[in-house]
Amino acid sequence: MRRNWVWVGLIALVLCLSVTFLTGCAKKATLKEEAVVTQEQKAVSQAPAVADDAAAREKALQEQALTDQAAREAAERAAREEADRVARETADKAKKEAGAMAAAILKELQIADINFDFDKYNLKPEAQEILKKGAPAYLKYRDYKLVVEGHCDEQGTSEYNLALGEKRATEAAKYLADLGIEKARIKTISYGKEMPLDKGHDEAAWAKNRRAHFVIFPPVQ
Amino acid sequence: MCDLKHPVILILVLLLLFSSGLAYGKVYIDIDSPSFQKFPIAITDFKPLRPVADKGDLPAWFSDTLSRDLTITGYFNVLDRKAFLEDPKQAGITAEGIRFEDWTVIGAEYLVKGGFQTDERELVTEFRLFDVVRGELVVGKRYTGKPEDRNRMVMQFVNEILLALTGEAGLFETRIAFVKKGDASADIYTINFDGSDLRRITNYNVLTLSPRWSPDGRFLAFTSYRDGNADIYLRDLGNGSTRKIVFYPGLNLPGSWSRDSARLLVTLSRDGNQEIYDMNVGNSLLQRLTRDFAIDVSPVRSPDERRIAFVSNRSGSPQIYIMDADGGNVRRLTYEGNYNTSPAWSPKGKRIAYEGSVHGRFQIFTIDAEGGSPQQLTFEGGDHESPSWSPDGRYLACSVRGYGRSRIEIMNEGGQNARVLHEGNDGCQSPFWSPRLR
Repeated sequence: MRRNWVWVGLIALVLCLSVTFLTGCAKKATLKEEAVVTQEQKAVSQAPAVADDAAAREKALQEQALTDQAAREAAERAAREEADRVARETADKAKKEAGAMAAAILKELQIADINFDFDKYNLKPEAQEILKKGAPAYLKYRDYKLVVEGHCDEQGTSEYNLALGEKRATEAAKYLADLGIEKARIKTISYGKEMPLDKGHDEAAWAKNRRAHFVIFPPVQ
Repeated sequence: MCDLKHPVILILVLLLLFSSGLAYGKVYIDIDSPSFQKFPIAITDFKPLRPVADKGDLPAWFSDTLSRDLTITGYFNVLDRKAFLEDPKQAGITAEGIRFEDWTVIGAEYLVKGGFQTDERELVTEFRLFDVVRGELVVGKRYTGKPEDRNRMVMQFVNEILLALTGEAGLFETRIAFVKKGDASADIYTINFDGSDLRRITNYNVLTLSPRWSPDGRFLAFTSYRDGNADIYLRDLGNGSTRKIVFYPGLNLPGSWSRDSARLLVTLSRDGNQEIYDMNVGNSLLQRLTRDFAIDVSPVRSPDERRIAFVSNRSGSPQIYIMDADGGNVRRLTYEGNYNTSPAWSPKGKRIAYEGSVHGRFQIFTIDAEGGSPQQLTFEGGDHESPSWSPDGRYLACSVRGYGRSRIEIMNEGGQNARVLHEGNDGCQSPFWSPRLR
């Protein structure tokens, strides 16, 4: 019987010890948990406040900056537009003036067609007069060049007329050079009988077609 | 050349039965003699070589086309079919089936008969030329080709007829280049001797002038303002490529080639005035031939290449001059009239054709190359300009301008038998006859 009590006592002790041990362990775990929870709570409750502050400040700064820039830009735009308008008006005026001047120069430089007799390339007195009147403008506007085109009437061979047209252009060019226009500024080309001014087939048309024509080349901008 | 673009093989079978054709024709009639009378020739409708249900239009097409082409040559008087005595149903197309007296009695000296056999892919034709006075075959040919080759078959047989009767093939393998003007442009075209197959060679929308065919048929030299100046270009007609070959300041105009197609006479104004040069086309080296302050232009070589005819106004008006090939020994050839230009030296060598002004109109003349005896070939119908000889020297092409129209015409060397090759409202000018192209 006594042995039984011993067993009971032993079991009781074991139970007691184990309870003690177990509860001790449980208590420790609970504390740890609590600590973690607290830290998390802290983090959760504090973080939003800090972020809101920074964002608000940033936003305010940005807004400020934007407002400033818009104002600055508006002012600049207005100034620029005004400057542009003035420039445009000035340019328009200048262009108009330049255009009018260029037109006036071209008009001054334009030499009327000179005419020739059939199968001839000598310059008739009236042709010489036209060239004498035309040359001074080229001495005044020295960046302008000219091309002298030689033309013939439809009578006779295409090839001979190409040569004849070239003779006419060359004679006119030589005369202009003698009047002081630099040779380098005068080019000649013959179109023979291939480019008639008047498509008629009578002497009146032919007389117009036997010509030297002058094309002005303005300076390249 | 142009035919090479249609590489249809025409199989030519000389009918050996009729080898007498070779023996014939050794005695040619002199068609160049002033007393020459046109050959009276009869042409019957062609017959199917095998019986067919529907003969179609071909029997009359062959006889009509032969008639037209023979008439074009200017050597034949094609007899009216209404005068024929022969019963077409009874008669054959070989000597055995012909009563020659049926033909001599109506005045024929020659007779052409033929037959054909065709399906969609192949056309076989037989052509026979008979001398009805002698009662024998002169020449016979069989051609095999595609149905669309029938025109060429007729042309080839007309060439055979000409070869047999005159000793020289016809000109159906030649073309004529010429200039056709637009509003402010001009382009080069070519056309067959019979007026068929007009082709545009250039399309530059500028002035393109003065076509000059090389004797080997491969190149066409011309002047064009493509780059603003009148420069010389060379079109390779074999591959269609074009290259600018002479482009000095001023005028650059092509004249005639040398027989070997290696040198080209050119007119250049690079030395300040129009002068004539002989240019090696391969390396562009120039030999200057004229030195004169007047216009020198339009050089042409004599067939033996020892002399050059050209136009100069050194006497005060444009006239034809002749110089040696090296530029020496210059002498004036034309004295009548105050405007003689466009010399063209006959391939036969003796005469030079040119255009001259008569009472304010331009007409074609020929003159002896040794000087003297100018002969006027054209008289009415407008201004006749820019003569060009056929390769056999038997025909002249020229441009005719008047009454608001212009055309390219062909006439016999004596000026007879003129016919229109091409006509238009636009200016047709500067014809230049090709060499034989095959």
